[in-house]
Amino acid sequence: MFTTGSKLFLGATALSTVSAIVFGASVGGSAGMLGTIGLISVAVVFAFIAGINLFTRDGNVSATEADVERNTAAAQAGVGRSMWPLAAALGSAGLVVGAVSKPVVFKVSFVILLAAAAEWMVQGFSERVSADPKYNEGIRKRLLHPLEFPLLAAVGAIVFIYSFSRIMLNIDKDAGRWVFMVIGAIITAAGFIFAAKRGMGKSTAAGIITVGALALVGVGIASAVSGQHPIEEHPEITSAVCLGTASEAQIEEIDTKASQSVAAKSNVLANVHLTSDEQLYALNTGIGYVQYHEIMVPQSNTVHVMFHNDSAEPRRLTIHLGTFKAADGTEGSEEADCTTAVEKGGTAFLTFKITKSQLASTTPYRLTVPGVEDQEIKLLVP
Amino acid sequence: MDRSKETVSTLGRMPSTRRHWSRAALFTGVGLLLAGCANNAPQDIFEPKGENAKKIDTLQRPVFYIAGIVALIVIGIVGYAMWKFRDRGQDIPEQSHGNPKLEIALTILPAIILAAISVPTVISVFELDKKTDTECIINVTGQQWWWEYDYATGQCGDVKIDKPIVTAGELVIPEKTNVLLRITSRDVIHSYWIPALNGKRDAVPGRLHTLRMQADQPGIYTGQCTEFCGLSHARMRQAAVALTTSDFQQWVDNQLKEYVAPEAGSLAAEGEAVFTANCSKCHQVNDLKNADGSPVLSDPDLYVVSGVAPNLSHLMNRTAFAGWTFDLLTEECRTALWTAKPADFGAMYLKGVTPECFNEVALRDWLRNPPAMKPMFVDPNNLSSTGGKYRGMPNLNLKPDQIDQLIAYLLGRN
Ligand code: HEC
Ligand SMILES: [Cu+2]
Repeated sequence: MFTTGSKLFLGATALSTVSAIVFGASVGGSAGMLGTIGLISVAVVFAFIAGINLFTRDGNVSATEADVERNTAAAQAGVGRSMWPLAAALGSAGLVVGAVSKPVVFKVSFVILLAAAAEWMVQGFSERVSADPKYNEGIRKRLLHPLEFPLLAAVGAIVFIYSFSRIMLNIDKDAGRWVFMVIGAIITAAGFIFAAKRGMGKSTAAGIITVGALALVGVGIASAVSGQHPIEEHPEITSAVCLGTASEAQIEEIDTKASQSVAAKSNVLANVHLTSDEQLYALNTGIGYVQYHEIMVPQSNTVHVMFHNDSAEPRRLTIHLGTFKAADGTEGSEEADCTTAVEKGGTAFLTFKITKSQLASTTPYRLTVPGVEDQEIKLLVP
Repeated sequence: MDRSKETVSTLGRMPSTRRHWSRAALFTGVGLLLAGCANNAPQDIFEPKGENAKKIDTLQRPVFYIAGIVALIVIGIVGYAMWKFRDRGQDIPEQSHGNPKLEIALTILPAIILAAISVPTVISVFELDKKTDTECIINVTGQQWWWEYDYATGQCGDVKIDKPIVTAGELVIPEKTNVLLRITSRDVIHSYWIPALNGKRDAVPGRLHTLRMQADQPGIYTGQCTEFCGLSHARMRQAAVALTTSDFQQWVDNQLKEYVAPEAGSLAAEGEAVFTANCSKCHQVNDLKNADGSPVLSDPDLYVVSGVAPNLSHLMNRTAFAGWTFDLLTEECRTALWTAKPADFGAMYLKGVTPECFNEVALRDWLRNPPAMKPMFVDPNNLSSTGGKYRGMPNLNLKPDQIDQLIAYLLGRN
């Protein structure tokens, strides 16, 4: 009687007819008019296709050969039970839940729905490729394995890395080193054992890996729940510390805990040296043989200088970044930045950017070393 | 045209589409070949005008010839094989694979050629990176879409620079002097290149790269930014001008001379007021004073992403503006300068843009509507991604008489 194809299109015809009626009745104006005409057209097209399907018996079975109908590929029952309808249902439900709760739920459900749709489609197609279920299964694998394996591997890697990172964030710095070494050693050892014991059964290996993975994910979840270990912030270097007006304790704190950045020497604008007899001079990058006591700094350029301390005391290099009126016209105080104190023979890196002309500041831009009198390097910012 | 005849005549030779292709290829080839012969090609990499570029040239020429000969041999053999063994319906010949002797020979031969080339290459690389003989340092900073030059104080060749000099677009250096450029960027990556004087060097924000510059004789050597840097990359050009020591001294003196305010009541004086009101927030003119005698200071960091705009104190001592793309000189004067003999070049260049030589149209167009001349990121209604700052110069909707006044004022910035 009704062929498979015609049933689908008859259903679609019915659906679009009903939609046309509902739409036409509920939406007014020209939009309602246009929509209804569109939906009716769709219904007509579906009805037409349904008719053709009926007439040609889906185009694949001769109406006269009744038993062919039972032996064709299309007439075969699906081989396996499929998990994809379930996954698709989950995905759709998640979509709805996500729409009203968290966007991430929506996105994940969307991906699940897409994946389920793709898998379901390919399964549905491959199960009817021929009358031979084995061959059909082969077709399915051929189509989907190149997609499934890398995706599953990626998901596996993400879960692994994420779990591991939660563990590392949870335990403290010193324990972290050990955990890293131990897990690494276990993985390496396992690799050796697998390689050496040829006779090991497939399921034994899979079992060991599964247990390991489950343990990792389990500890990872536990760690994520218990949260991160406290992370100590580097204290911010303040003008007061650089200008020597801060308290001893604050200065001490900066020198022991502030972050130190070092970069390639070839990138500095100048190397600033404090000699053993506490003389300060700069070597301008490019001219190594002149000791400069003023250097030009282009406006708004990010520049670096390297400080070399050859004096006996621990010293810092301070840059005086000028004094400006506040927006409301009140006098500001001098701004400064500096390196941490470096021991004799040590070096430190100072990065700065001066955006205003020297004329805009009431105090000069310059480099000094707190504690060393009468030594400075002028910074010329035209 | 007699179509039937053409069809008949092509039938005997090749299908007409194939003939179209070969004709197009021929034209392209000849065109490219002829382009190589242009005599007005200031950025020709085979015409070095300074020590560093000559080093590159001595290195690249033999390599170019060897590579050319190898290419000719390969193309010849392939062409011969294609012709000799073309399909004439003959039987497929016996198929063979591999010939160890030949393959070893063809591996060793190029290896020897490359090894030989690598010796002068490595030597040149180190020579071009030398910094111990520097006689002058100049900071070069790229930003969208122009170059700024900041002359450090101290000796520059035989000339002493007492105060920093800031200029744009046109690098001025003393001839026969080892100048070291210290190149960086204020926004994205650019690349500095004056083909006649040296190779390229990238300008990377936060990094300082050095590039040697030396010119054998006075003249103007052009170049362009060679790292794609956004909207107006094509309009980010530059030039290096070499002067004799005494001419360079004059140029420096002129850059550092005192500001001359326009005569009170003149059109230029009105221009000064318009400039102070509209332009000085971005552009610096050194020593420009407010009515109360306080200095007029620019704040480009508040308005422009890169934090700077060209210093206009001596605009008329440059020959082009806005990324060195638009001429400040009329075509006649520019040609005279560009083709001047080295001995006459300096005096001509130091005259700057005189009223007779001033290409007023371009500067007027610029003041009327800068982004119409050079695409820039300056739509005031669309600056949310830059926190309200411009990349380039916005249209300031100046009135015609304001433009007249500004032109008169700017013409005095020499
Ligand atoms: C919002 C900041 C800003 C303002 C205001 C401004 N400019 Fe500009 N101007 C720029 C920037 C940025 C450039 C560089 C554009 C480029 O070359 O890509 C420039 C370029 C120029 C140049 C070319 C300079 C050279 O040597 O290349 C001239 C001339 C100029 N401006 C004149 C003026 C005048 C006159 C005014 C006032 C009417 C003015 N500008 C107002 C930002 C500004
Ligand atoms: Cu550029």
